Amino acid sequence: MLLKKEDINRKEIYRYLGYKGQEPDETVKELIEEVLEQLLNAIEPRYLYKLYQCKIEEEDITFWHENTGECFTLQSKNLAYTLRGCKEAYLMAATLGIGADKLLQRYEVISMAKASASQACGAAVVEALCDKTQEEIRKLAEEKQCHIRPRFSPGYGDLRLETQKEIFKQLDCTRRIGITLTEDMLMYPTKSVTALIGLTDEKEECHTGKCKQCTNTECEFRDEV
Amino acid sequence: MKFREHLGKKIMFFDGAMGSLLQARGLKTGEIPENWNMEHPEKVMEIHKEYLFSGCNVISANTFGANRFKCKNNAYTVEQLVTAGVKNVKTAMEEAKKQLLAEGKEPQEMYTALDIGSIGKLLKPLGELPFEEAYEVFKEIIIAGRNAGADLVLIETFSDCYEAKAAVLAAKENCDLPVVVTLIFDERGKLLTGGDVASVTAMLEGLGVDAIGFNCGLGPEQMLKLFPELTKCCSVPIVINPNAGLPIVINGQTCYNVEPEEFSNGMVQFVELGASAVGGCCGTTPAHLKMVVEKCKDLQISPVTDKNLTVVSSYNHAVYFTRKPLIIGERINPTGKSKFKQALRDHNMEYIYKEGLTQEEKGAHILDVNVGLPEIDEPKLMEEAVTGIQAIIDLPLQIDTSDPIAMERALRCYNGKPMLNSVNGKKESMEAVFPLAKKYGAVVVCLCLDEDGIPETVEGRLKVAQKIVDTAASYGIPKKNLVMDALVLTISTGKENANVTLETLRRIRYEMGIHTVLGVSNISFGLPERTKINTAFFTMAMHNGLSAGIINPSSEAMMSAYYSFNALIGEDDQCMEYIEKCQSQAIAQTTQNPAVQSAAANTQMSLEDAIIKGLADSASKATEALLEEKIDSLTIINEKLIPALDIVGKGFEEQKMFLPQLLMSAEAAKASFEAIKAVLSKQGKQSESKAKIVIATVKGDIHDIGKNIVKTLLENYGFNMIDLGKDVAPELILKTVQENNVKLVGLSALMTTTVVSMEETIKLLRKNQVDCKVMVGGAVLTQEYADMIGADFYSKDAMGSVRYANELYEKGELV
Repeated sequence: MLLKKEDINRKEIYRYLGYKGQEPDETVKELIEEVLEQLLNAIEPRYLYKLYQCKIEEEDITFWHENTGECFTLQSKNLAYTLRGCKEAYLMAATLGIGADKLLQRYEVISMAKASASQACGAAVVEALCDKTQEEIRKLAEEKQCHIRPRFSPGYGDLRLETQKEIFKQLDCTRRIGITLTEDMLMYPTKSVTALIGLTDEKEECHTGKCKQCTNTECEFRDEV
Repeated sequence: MKFREHLGKKIMFFDGAMGSLLQARGLKTGEIPENWNMEHPEKVMEIHKEYLFSGCNVISANTFGANRFKCKNNAYTVEQLVTAGVKNVKTAMEEAKKQLLAEGKEPQEMYTALDIGSIGKLLKPLGELPFEEAYEVFKEIIIAGRNAGADLVLIETFSDCYEAKAAVLAAKENCDLPVVVTLIFDERGKLLTGGDVASVTAMLEGLGVDAIGFNCGLGPEQMLKLFPELTKCCSVPIVINPNAGLPIVINGQTCYNVEPEEFSNGMVQFVELGASAVGGCCGTTPAHLKMVVEKCKDLQISPVTDKNLTVVSSYNHAVYFTRKPLIIGERINPTGKSKFKQALRDHNMEYIYKEGLTQEEKGAHILDVNVGLPEIDEPKLMEEAVTGIQAIIDLPLQIDTSDPIAMERALRCYNGKPMLNSVNGKKESMEAVFPLAKKYGAVVVCLCLDEDGIPETVEGRLKVAQKIVDTAASYGIPKKNLVMDALVLTISTGKENANVTLETLRRIRYEMGIHTVLGVSNISFGLPERTKINTAFFTMAMHNGLSAGIINPSSEAMMSAYYSFNALIGEDDQCMEYIEKCQSQAIAQTTQNPAVQSAAANTQMSLEDAIIKGLADSASKATEALLEEKIDSLTIINEKLIPALDIVGKGFEEQKMFLPQLLMSAEAAKASFEAIKAVLSKQGKQSESKAKIVIATVKGDIHDIGKNIVKTLLENYGFNMIDLGKDVAPELILKTVQENNVKLVGLSALMTTTVVSMEETIKLLRKNQVDCKVMVGGAVLTQEYADMIGADFYSKDAMGSVRYANELYEKGELV
């Protein structure tokens, strides 16, 4: 199994369930652990990534592929800030597969408490999968004495959801790992993530809190810690 | 030579990759490759000719992605791209033939394949694309390809069997061309959507495709490891088109590094092991195919043999009829069950799904699905039930209806190779059922009765069985797709009834060589303690050749007989299944032990505590205890249950309690309600509900977890929830509100784009001057947005809707 129970950040699960730093009681914890175990048995994690050169001019970030010459440009102040000073960046995609969605539909018949826990666990598990993917990328970066910047996803801050189209085109996500994209830029299976990770020569000590950089201050899941 | 005459008789060669060769000629990433059919036909034809000169027979037109989604906002239509694509192949073939003849070479047989790839969208219910829309997408391509003169339809690189079914149906219903289907399996033999080789093969053979195989994803080496799984179950010719190895990334570029020499050696092995046709996929080139042709062209292919398997499948696994009997769960059926009937009338799908889940848990292998009631729209409900059950349960289904329209709708939307219950020896029945069974590849349950009723003798039943077999054969349905029901009549009305059934079973199974099925429990009708007779008869029937028993898997006695029988006939290795079953029964018994229970009763918590803590079992027991003390059910609800729920609700609003607790409390309260209802129904009373509320996730939106949370909570507060589900049309909401005189509607939407549907729904309700309030909720909604679309109330969380509904109820606005 690619992901184990101990890889999953419980605090994230609690946060997705609406806890704001409090510890759930034992009954809720038991429920979460049971659902998490079922979920890890039901999923088939898959991921991929690809390296691009990049150049940042104010809020335009242009990416191109060294060998094929493929080229595309994204506009985002927040992404430009995250990638400042980067000459290279990885595009990545990861998914838990349809197993997580099937389990959720099943729980919705059996128990809504389990269904909501399953939804939260799924979000935390796909994050853990992204962490694993990012770790591989970090090692690749290390080989060329580079450091990585925090990963950044479409829909986050001012990076438009439409960016998904470009990422899907570049990574061939549908054929390679089975993620599909709707006209509304939603992904199925639902527990899927796409992201960009910049590479820099400088060691970046300050990986600012994921949420703090986001412009959506109204988000109910915003992590202020 | 025609394609069908060639396939499976003589080795056939498919071509190799197209995309990478187009890229080498200047196609850019993101550019639509099919546009080159119009813009650079000479370059496309050049590639076709290279494959023809390598000796390939089947050339795939450059139409892989020519579907309406890709062509949206494109300069060319699907029809233009497909027509040009097919034409390019035909022209390339003519030119190649001329050149070969000029060089004094005999041209090989050449066939133009209309190449169809996956749409790249996930089908409902897991994704967004309705099955019938997928069908329409493929139909458009197929009609264009047929008109352009393709020789066959090649459905390839699919990773979802449901999508493959839509494509095959579209091909079968819109042309007479041969259909070849190849899918991508991973190294463990799984599709991206979970199907395995056996289940996919069962479904595709059932649909009548001409050849089945693997392509893409893997190289010859990995595919060879999976190949035995296909050869052991496949009864049609096999096509293998691997990649030139597994993809490896060099400098960020995807490459395939298996060279022609190694690739062709692998392909020789496929032919020797039973493939009828070989070719290549990603990373293969004319050089690869040239060497494949050279090494394989003189090989004898193995004759295609019928594996003679009786098999049904779900989206992810196949179930075979073998010596070890199967359990078909009988519980999804309203006959004689007043609660089930009520659930059907109330459109309570959850009740049906729960019956299914329980049977799966208890060890059923197949589930019978019968939702027939005179007063309901059976075709509609049948389709909904099949779609809903297969979304959450992995077992194959037995579609059980006498309505041919319901039958076809269920067969069509079924994701796999279904079982069909039933046909009988009456002319009318066979004429209605066999064409459907043939078309959708169902395994049909055949009842040994006809116009003259149920024959009393063994000979009489066998005669009907033979008539059914012969008629089925005239429709092209082989014996392996029939399962005979020898019929069971109760021994209370005829002492020979069991003997006749058992002997009929034995002879059908061992003399006619056909698998059998029985609705076992009919044997004891009219007798006391029926389980005793049923269990004994079940064992006797299995011993006499029963292949599948239609029983209640929750009956411990029946399942014990089943597991014991398997252990006795040597079909349970080291009695593992039997032992496991005994252990789980032992655990179940300890928890039901009266001594243990009374100990628990001593420390029993109050109903309020049980609900606040979210403990369903305790809540149920506490309720039962209160009822035993003769406390009135209304008092329990109003003075204990509701106050406890209020405490949790308040805690939630003050952020002292959280969503899981809120829902667990709701479930505990539900358990308490169930206990009350059970007592009331024993007394012949019904529990009263406050008022009806319609709830729905609006059209275009399939995210319903939020709606379901709200529904759970409102139910707890005694409201009668009419849940219309997800992706609900405004018209249906209006109709339901009008027909039921509903005063409150709850609408949910997750996305900005579907809030538009929410607005349309509200407009439609207002336009028709329906006197009802509308409350809305969902991730993207705000008070401002809710006001803008004309909602009466915006609920920021689940408790908000409870408060609003209660307020309206107290004001007397809800009835």
